[in-house]
Amino acid sequence: MNTSVKYLLKRLGIYAISGWAAVTLNFFLPRMMPGDPVSVMFASFRGKLKPEAIEALKQTFGFTDEPLLNKYISYLSHLLNGELGISTAYFPEEVSSIILSSLGWTLLLVGISLVVSFIIGSLIGMIIAWRRDGKLDSILPPSFSFISSFPYFFTAMLLLYFFGFKLGWFPIRHAYNSNLIPGFNIEFIVSCLHHAFLPASTLIFMGIGGWMLQMRNNMIGTISTDYISFAKSKGLSQKRIMIWYAAKNAILPIITSFGMAIGFILSGTILTEIIFSYPGQGYILYQAVQAQDYQLMQGIFLTTTLSVLAANWLIDILVLILDPRTRK
Amino acid sequence: MGNKILDINNLNVDFLSEGASIHAVKDFSMHINKNEIFGLVGESGSGKSTVIKSILRILPAPGVITKGEIKFKDQDILELDESELSSLRWSHISVVKQKALNSLNPLLKIKEQIIDTIRAHEKIKTKDAMERCNALMDLVEIDRNYLNSYPHELSGGMKQRVVIAIALALKPELIIMDEPTTALDVVIEKEIILKILDLKSQLGFSLLFITHDLNLILGFADRVGVMLEGELVDTDTAEIIKSGGNNPYTTKLINSIPDVSDYSQTKADKNEPELIHVKDLVKTYSRHSSFFSSDKFHAVDGVSFNVNKNEIVGLVGESGSGKSTISKILTKLIDFDGGQILFNGKDISCITKRRDLLDYRKKVQVIFQDPFASLNSIHTVYHHLSRPILIHRSYDKYSKKQRDQMVKKEIIAILKEVDLSPPEEFLYKFPHEMSGGERQRIALARVLLVQPQLIIADEPTSMLDMSIRMEILDLLKSLQVKKGISILFITHDIASACYLSNRLIVLKNGKIVDSGIVSEIINNPKDKYSKLLIDSCESGWFINQ
Amino acid sequence: MNRSWYNLIWINKKARLGIIIVSSFILIAAVGPIFFEDPNAYIGTPLLEPSFVHLFGTTGQGQDVFAQTIAGARSTLFIGLGTGFMIVLLGLIVGSLSGYFGRRIDNILSLIINIFLLIPGLPLMVIIAAWLPPGPFSMMGVLVFTGWAWQARVLRSQVLSLRERDYVNAAIITGESNIKVIIYQIWPQMLSLIMASFIGATVYAIGAQVGLEFLGLGDVDKVTWGNNLYWATNDLALLTGSWWTFVPTGLCIALVSFGLTLINYGIDEISNPRLLSERIVKSRLPNLFNRNGSTPVARELFGK
Repeated sequence: MNTSVKYLLKRLGIYAISGWAAVTLNFFLPRMMPGDPVSVMFASFRGKLKPEAIEALKQTFGFTDEPLLNKYISYLSHLLNGELGISTAYFPEEVSSIILSSLGWTLLLVGISLVVSFIIGSLIGMIIAWRRDGKLDSILPPSFSFISSFPYFFTAMLLLYFFGFKLGWFPIRHAYNSNLIPGFNIEFIVSCLHHAFLPASTLIFMGIGGWMLQMRNNMIGTISTDYISFAKSKGLSQKRIMIWYAAKNAILPIITSFGMAIGFILSGTILTEIIFSYPGQGYILYQAVQAQDYQLMQGIFLTTTLSVLAANWLIDILVLILDPRTRK
Repeated sequence: MGNKILDINNLNVDFLSEGASIHAVKDFSMHINKNEIFGLVGESGSGKSTVIKSILRILPAPGVITKGEIKFKDQDILELDESELSSLRWSHISVVKQKALNSLNPLLKIKEQIIDTIRAHEKIKTKDAMERCNALMDLVEIDRNYLNSYPHELSGGMKQRVVIAIALALKPELIIMDEPTTALDVVIEKEIILKILDLKSQLGFSLLFITHDLNLILGFADRVGVMLEGELVDTDTAEIIKSGGNNPYTTKLINSIPDVSDYSQTKADKNEPELIHVKDLVKTYSRHSSFFSSDKFHAVDGVSFNVNKNEIVGLVGESGSGKSTISKILTKLIDFDGGQILFNGKDISCITKRRDLLDYRKKVQVIFQDPFASLNSIHTVYHHLSRPILIHRSYDKYSKKQRDQMVKKEIIAILKEVDLSPPEEFLYKFPHEMSGGERQRIALARVLLVQPQLIIADEPTSMLDMSIRMEILDLLKSLQVKKGISILFITHDIASACYLSNRLIVLKNGKIVDSGIVSEIINNPKDKYSKLLIDSCESGWFINQ
Repeated sequence: MNRSWYNLIWINKKARLGIIIVSSFILIAAVGPIFFEDPNAYIGTPLLEPSFVHLFGTTGQGQDVFAQTIAGARSTLFIGLGTGFMIVLLGLIVGSLSGYFGRRIDNILSLIINIFLLIPGLPLMVIIAAWLPPGPFSMMGVLVFTGWAWQARVLRSQVLSLRERDYVNAAIITGESNIKVIIYQIWPQMLSLIMASFIGATVYAIGAQVGLEFLGLGDVDKVTWGNNLYWATNDLALLTGSWWTFVPTGLCIALVSFGLTLINYGIDEISNPRLLSERIVKSRLPNLFNRNGSTPVARELFGK
């Protein structure tokens, strides 16, 4: 079998095991905690559901007296059917539908910020590493480093305060103007972008520093290699060496690290959404925590984990395409 | 203008540091004539690479040229600006370095790397550029299809030839080669040197060839220069240098070229029992990114030999022959996949328990190739030498004070034995405070303290300066006789193997191709390869084939 | 080199600044609260702007922001440093076992490390913290559980490469036991990495801790930086324009994290000799230095 295919399958295997570990952890977590969290969980249902419905829910999620293995299997089968339970914070909506409706907004933010911050950050990193003539290199890395030291939500708060509250240039909450009806019309799309601007800017602002630093450090490492000095001695132009010899080699490890970065970016997005009341996964997670809505919390955990694993696999494919050395 | 193509006068290069600068090159003056081969010889740290990099001004920080002029056909390179330098580089002077695999960009195809060299200096259509690529590949005898491959798909020798092709791409007048064949095996080295000489006669360029291997360069250079600690101490025609040169250092270097005919005449006592017996040893590795389609690689492919008590056996092989693998297997650092190894009659694969392993280690010890790497830089000599004592002697019943005294006494005694005096001065030194030869003696002392029956010496002198190698070999010889230890001397240099050993084994690609007592191998080599190894000790060996 | 390690760190400007910042905060955390009574006490009208009486103003519940900021340092730093230490300890042990023994042990441990790295941190932290009773040990437990893998991987890869050094093999062949080889031959060569790991882990711990508390999953009764921000949001700081309720705490968090990161930069520059070489040439010959250009010729400076 082709080594590339073997490699991808092996990676898929690791993701499958991780997914299974997450799912299993989800199952055992409430049962491992001190105290009786189960009753707490179902106490919040009391008064909202009939006792028979509560019993049925208990059955569905295995909080019964059956042997552990049976409970586990029924739990897994419910998961595979996409049943994640009923939310208490958004009662009586199902967890799966809540998550689905908010997933899109989060993906929008993550997508925009990842692409923009990566491109800008890498470009800046490449240039300051190459030129290294003092000014830019002494100012930018430390400044961005300082900004990256802010907690994500703090930056969000600052941006919200200045541009939303004080200057009023951007709206301070939600994903689109509540007067509008969602649809593929210009007005709606513009409103979406207008609302997404501040949260996305927060993420981009915080994210640029990381990409810039990585690219800069990788470039510095690449610049000292023998093939760069060979290229220089061949008389190649600075531009050609910088892009095709140095940057091309420097960027590869960064793309490989995309996978790790996604988990990080997701965390930042979650916190940012809360500040802007932006209706993505982060916002509903916050509501879930406030309302002690364990079903929703666990549902979000599962969907974010699975999304990250899927994204990682796509990145593995991307690396395989970009690096000829992996394709033997 | 005259006949000189390169004329260096009073070149001085410094390396700046926080404190005082380091004068790496001092008042270096030499010239190269048209169509001449000039060999620049020196040991590591002599400054030869620095001179080369300064010629093209590609010396990285903290290097700074502080004085002198470097004239290429009347232009002083040190006066040129960036763009003039760019156009000078490669179209007039090009460089081939050691370890070509590092010179090629791993992410660009071979043809792209040749074409961008050409494009950097001339405007050329893609079709014409490809024609030139094809011609270059033919010139260095590599199949044209490899133009579409990436560097990792080629073997080491092929990559070196690609780098040579790139160096020739713009038909420069001067080619500088910095140790281009070190780390390649004798067979390939011969091919490449012959190819270079052939190309030179076809294309007519001058060659500046840098190496530490005096023997090699004396075979084909017109003139030779000798460098020591940043200075050019001697320069003359090859014949004069060969006969000793004009400087005592040159004479010392010439004398330390090992002479194969000066071999150990002593034969081992045939009645000594077998110490270690190796039968049909096999070790395979699976290669991941390899040029070969098969996944498995036989590092050791059915090797059988033995070492008796009180003898020195020389295991001769080049890189890739499997000799280091054998060393690791015999010291139980790695497992083996087939065959049997008996030590004093007992099968060593049965040694699994900690106690038995410690017992085995008491009997089999190793000296490594790189003396800097085998001594942990953060520990003193005292630490390095006290460990074997404390591990292998039972000093539990003594008090700490008594124990320390006994340990110190033993360490001082062993330091005397390896000729490090005064021993007290060495006790608390760190590795970086000692020379290569001194460190290797410490490594030897460490081994002797264990009181082993077999010492595996894995290339113990190849990283030492030539002048010191003989001293270490003589030390090994005398200690072997004194203590009756057996030595398995692993090396790529057949001459030193002959000097030290009673018997020889020649290894190639994981198999034994020749073995026997030294005089037999020298006078009657059974295999083509062993003959080639022996012949390569003569200077100019490749030419007479 | 190791003896003058401490001197080297201090000489490096970035590291020095970082050390000063971090030590100041540690001092404030240790000594500061003595000067205040109960930071939670009601001392005045809510949401007062900063003034001479109340340096940072008051919170939405009438508490002194300055007192709260100072008091918050103690808990946040204590948990941050403590977690950082435990993460490095765990990472060092797992990484060393994995990197040193290799093969099967490495396969299993690496798989575990990879799984922990893949599962996104914040959601995992949230669900665990949600189930646990509040308190410093729960917090540290959650942080260590979700954060140990990163450092473990970094330390493992260093152990893996050091394992192949000749001096390690020499020690093994001399007969040294595996534990002694790891502790006396490998770990001493990793000191700067271990230090950098500790600092990195602490930065992570502070950030994650603040994040959890901001969500309301910390011990809401205690005064910590994260909780200060939680209450500020709850009391609608942004909508009422009361920037003073969250900016001081946010800045403190940023400064401490930044200070720690600076120290790490310093450590990196010291362990990276090439950067040092370039700086030296740059400082001596500013007009001639061009990192991608040709070797400079400095005849004038050194005399003909």
